[in-house]
Amino acid sequence: MPKMLTVENLSISFRTSEGVITPVHDVTFGVEAGRTLGLVGESGSGKSISTKALMQLLPGNASLSGETRMTYTDKAGKEIALGRLKTGSKELRRIRGGEIGMIFQEPMASFSPVYTIGNQMMEAIMLHRGLKKRAAREYAIEMLNKVGISNASARVDQYPHELSGGMRQRAMIALTLSAGPALLIADEPTTALDVTIQAQVLDLMRDLQRDLGMGMIFITHDLGVIAQIADDVAVMYLGTIVERGPARDVIRNPQHPYTQGLLDAIPSVEHLHDRLKPVPGDIPSPTARPTGCPFHTRCAQAIAGTCDVTAPTEVSTIPGRAVRCWLHSDKDRNAA
Amino acid sequence: MLRFTLERLVGMVITMLLVSVMVFLIMELPPGDYADRYAFRKYSGTGVNVTEADIEAIRRDLGLDKPMLLRYFDWIGGIVLRGDFGQAFAFETSVAKVIGDKVWLTAGILFSTLLLTYIVSIPIGIFAAVRRGSAVDYGLTVFSYLGLALPNFLLALVMLYFANRWFGADIGGLFSDQYRDASWSVGKVWDLIKHLWLPAVVLAWSAVAIQIQTVRATMSDELNKLSVTAARARGVPELRLLIKYPTRLAINPVVSTIGFDVNRIFSELPIVAVVLGLTELGELLLRAYLDLDMNVAGAILLMLTFTIVFMNFVSDLLLAWLDPRIKLGA
Amino acid sequence: MTDATHQTDTTAEEARLKYYSASQWTLIWWRFRRHRAAMMAASVLGLMFLAGIFAEFVAPYGPVTRDTNYIEGAPQVPRFCDAGGCSVFPFVNGTKTERDPVTLRAISVPDPEVRHYLHVFVKGEPVKLLGLIPTDRHLVGLNPDVDQKIHFWGTDDLGRDVFSRTIYATRTSLSIGVIGVMISFVLALIIGGIAGYFAGVIDNIIQRVTEVIRVVPIIPLYMGLAAAMPKEWSTTQVYFAMTLILGLFGWPTLARRIRSQLLSIRNEDYVIAARLAGARPGRIIAQHMLPSFTSFIIVDLVISFPYMILSETALSFVGLGLRPPSVSWGVLLQQAQSVRAIEQTPWLFIPAIFVVVAVLAFTVIGDGLRDAADPYSEAH
Repeated sequence: MPKMLTVENLSISFRTSEGVITPVHDVTFGVEAGRTLGLVGESGSGKSISTKALMQLLPGNASLSGETRMTYTDKAGKEIALGRLKTGSKELRRIRGGEIGMIFQEPMASFSPVYTIGNQMMEAIMLHRGLKKRAAREYAIEMLNKVGISNASARVDQYPHELSGGMRQRAMIALTLSAGPALLIADEPTTALDVTIQAQVLDLMRDLQRDLGMGMIFITHDLGVIAQIADDVAVMYLGTIVERGPARDVIRNPQHPYTQGLLDAIPSVEHLHDRLKPVPGDIPSPTARPTGCPFHTRCAQAIAGTCDVTAPTEVSTIPGRAVRCWLHSDKDRNAA
Repeated sequence: MLRFTLERLVGMVITMLLVSVMVFLIMELPPGDYADRYAFRKYSGTGVNVTEADIEAIRRDLGLDKPMLLRYFDWIGGIVLRGDFGQAFAFETSVAKVIGDKVWLTAGILFSTLLLTYIVSIPIGIFAAVRRGSAVDYGLTVFSYLGLALPNFLLALVMLYFANRWFGADIGGLFSDQYRDASWSVGKVWDLIKHLWLPAVVLAWSAVAIQIQTVRATMSDELNKLSVTAARARGVPELRLLIKYPTRLAINPVVSTIGFDVNRIFSELPIVAVVLGLTELGELLLRAYLDLDMNVAGAILLMLTFTIVFMNFVSDLLLAWLDPRIKLGA
Repeated sequence: MTDATHQTDTTAEEARLKYYSASQWTLIWWRFRRHRAAMMAASVLGLMFLAGIFAEFVAPYGPVTRDTNYIEGAPQVPRFCDAGGCSVFPFVNGTKTERDPVTLRAISVPDPEVRHYLHVFVKGEPVKLLGLIPTDRHLVGLNPDVDQKIHFWGTDDLGRDVFSRTIYATRTSLSIGVIGVMISFVLALIIGGIAGYFAGVIDNIIQRVTEVIRVVPIIPLYMGLAAAMPKEWSTTQVYFAMTLILGLFGWPTLARRIRSQLLSIRNEDYVIAARLAGARPGRIIAQHMLPSFTSFIIVDLVISFPYMILSETALSFVGLGLRPPSVSWGVLLQQAQSVRAIEQTPWLFIPAIFVVVAVLAFTVIGDGLRDAADPYSEAH
């Protein structure tokens, strides 16, 4: 499958009162049409801001490095350089929503509380599908039906606070999809929901993605969710991708100590009597980024004199996979 | 919505009732009573010897010998049932006559001030929030401090001074000489409008300063909301987004403080009126206080406060209409 | 890691230790000290209070002392140079009386031939400092042998020194503010305390009454109360009545704050524990509940000063507050009610600058305190 999105050397810096911090560092990934890329990492690892950079949704004090290349191939096959579009341009507005849709963690907060679900859906439909009001309303109801909201023709006139949490997220999915995006970015869409509802929403998203043939970036901190939904996975730690590859392979045979740690931290039915093993230590503050490999402060297998001095480069030990760790790049270490 | 309206309506009536008691107590406060002052006013300097019996007679005539509670009911009953506010002794006529069309002049001042306040403060507050940390934002903060610190009568004097220098002498008051005692006509209304801007600017000054800060604060909060980012991520054009999402919610605190703004305007009105020579209720209220013409003073204080209570009611309804979450809670 | 960075690390560590072990009030003071505008406002206000307290010493003349030789005279600015050359010490030129060639009125004009030098700690009118200590020394003035007075900020229509009157007025206006705030604070504490502690029906009734007071426009309300003061009352009686009036109706905002804070913590475990231990309501409120939001109360107190000062000024300005011969900022500004005053005797507006500066200072200090009292205002 051709790549619909390629991101190369993405670095994002923020000017703050305490100086410049760079929470995303030289990140490279891609999304193939019709496939799902899972972005995994703890909070603060830079998953969300990486995807916000795609949509130029970062605050004013953020800037991208000069080496950053983000190329998106739109529905018509035209290549577009993301991150460099003019603010307020028609092109950017078409990309936002019409080409790339985004779903956020808090379904309640992503809706404006003072307009009905239908009002906000119709706005997107009229903007991106060029429908008139009446047709847009019909379409909104159809979409609500599609995401499994019962009695959609009544729900369409309700306010967000009148819906349950799971319903709201379904409605948000309907809203985002109604603009007809080719790529869907889902930023922890199930984290704020009850566990039972999480599973339903995950199923829904996977089905819709297959039906509509969309590409998807699914952000989560939960490798268990990745196993259910993603085709490929990229594990992020402190703003760098430490490991990537097909989701199944990475989960079955993790190469980076951090990925291993994340997997050990998942409770599982087979090991009910074992103690959970969280990744030891705290994620360092972005203002105090460790030297060398960013993970060395928490890594049980860190090699003194190497990991804390020089950052490892990405190597590919198994075809189709890549890892950024000194344990897997002996040659480079000797060279360094 | 109907239930909500009814509840607020009942609340408003209760508050008005309590306010009327308070106003009545203030009317009763000055030493001596209406009969004393009436007799003193009428006969002082005329050489007539007023005896205690004469005063007692006046007192009986006016029903002032009744117990306080009964007098309160007489007073409020007269107002509610007959629109009768009692006698004004300054002109030996009814309070209603003295007040006359000053009610409409006051309403004119009030609404032009409110209009000016919101027209100025809402866009500027939004602009300051969007351009946070800019020179304009900083300048507005300084202005807001000044808006609080500059006593309104001083501002009135300064404005009057400059208005006189730039626009000629005939700028104070509400009418030009030729229209002052004329009956109402198109010319007179136009003349009024030409004079209204000065009191409106003076009275709106501090309200604008406060509202800009309110709008700026809520707008800054709203701009950071996820719903705004989400709408932006859907490709909503920026200006439309700004108006539809954050502005819509940033207006709520302004709406909820309409009553306070009216309160502030009425509070400043008597003093500004003195300086600017306005002939409306505030100035009349001050004169009534100075003359201890408490029937007039009480009537005006009651009218001003009832207006505030009513505007609170209106702002509650507006807010419920603007914010769908409120109806659910009520 | 190099030695140098290690060094800064240990000092940083010490600072951090000091920071974490400091008391709440020390922390507030540290944060407040860094607020430059608020510190400046505090110093200005401090000077005003000092001038007010020692008005008898700071003011060269009494508030009603008349100088018939210099009526509606312009401010005399001390200078170092005149036509006759320069001097190390500041001086003012003498005045002489001339007839205005047009109106034939007697007017005072500067006489460049005569210099009167400024002296400090000069002998002048005998006064009682703080109303107790008799002295005849004043901060600055002219040599008592000279038969001329110095008027830094000019004189009014009776020849009274505007500078001296403003200093005395500062005392009156600030003290009315202080006493008024104190009264409303005590009332707010009692009323808000009762409402917030007992909640329920009592709270409902108190809320209704508070609501009524809040909806009546405050200046017209004050006016109504002030108008009721008997005309024959002495200036002292009027003064105390004024502070009482301002204090009696200044409490609703603060009372609401205290009430809502109390309501939010009345079911905290430590409050219930105190109740179970048999402590009386007054003690629970004072010992266990109030300390948790004292800093907010102080902020509210500071920002309620401006309203007191502005209300007093406004009432006196229209003749319903303090009355001459009392002097307050509002009383002084009564003489400056017209555009004519701006044109002919602009120096009569100097007291207004005091009003603006005092109100600004209180507001800025209030903001600074609010920031300082907010534990989340900075990440350390």
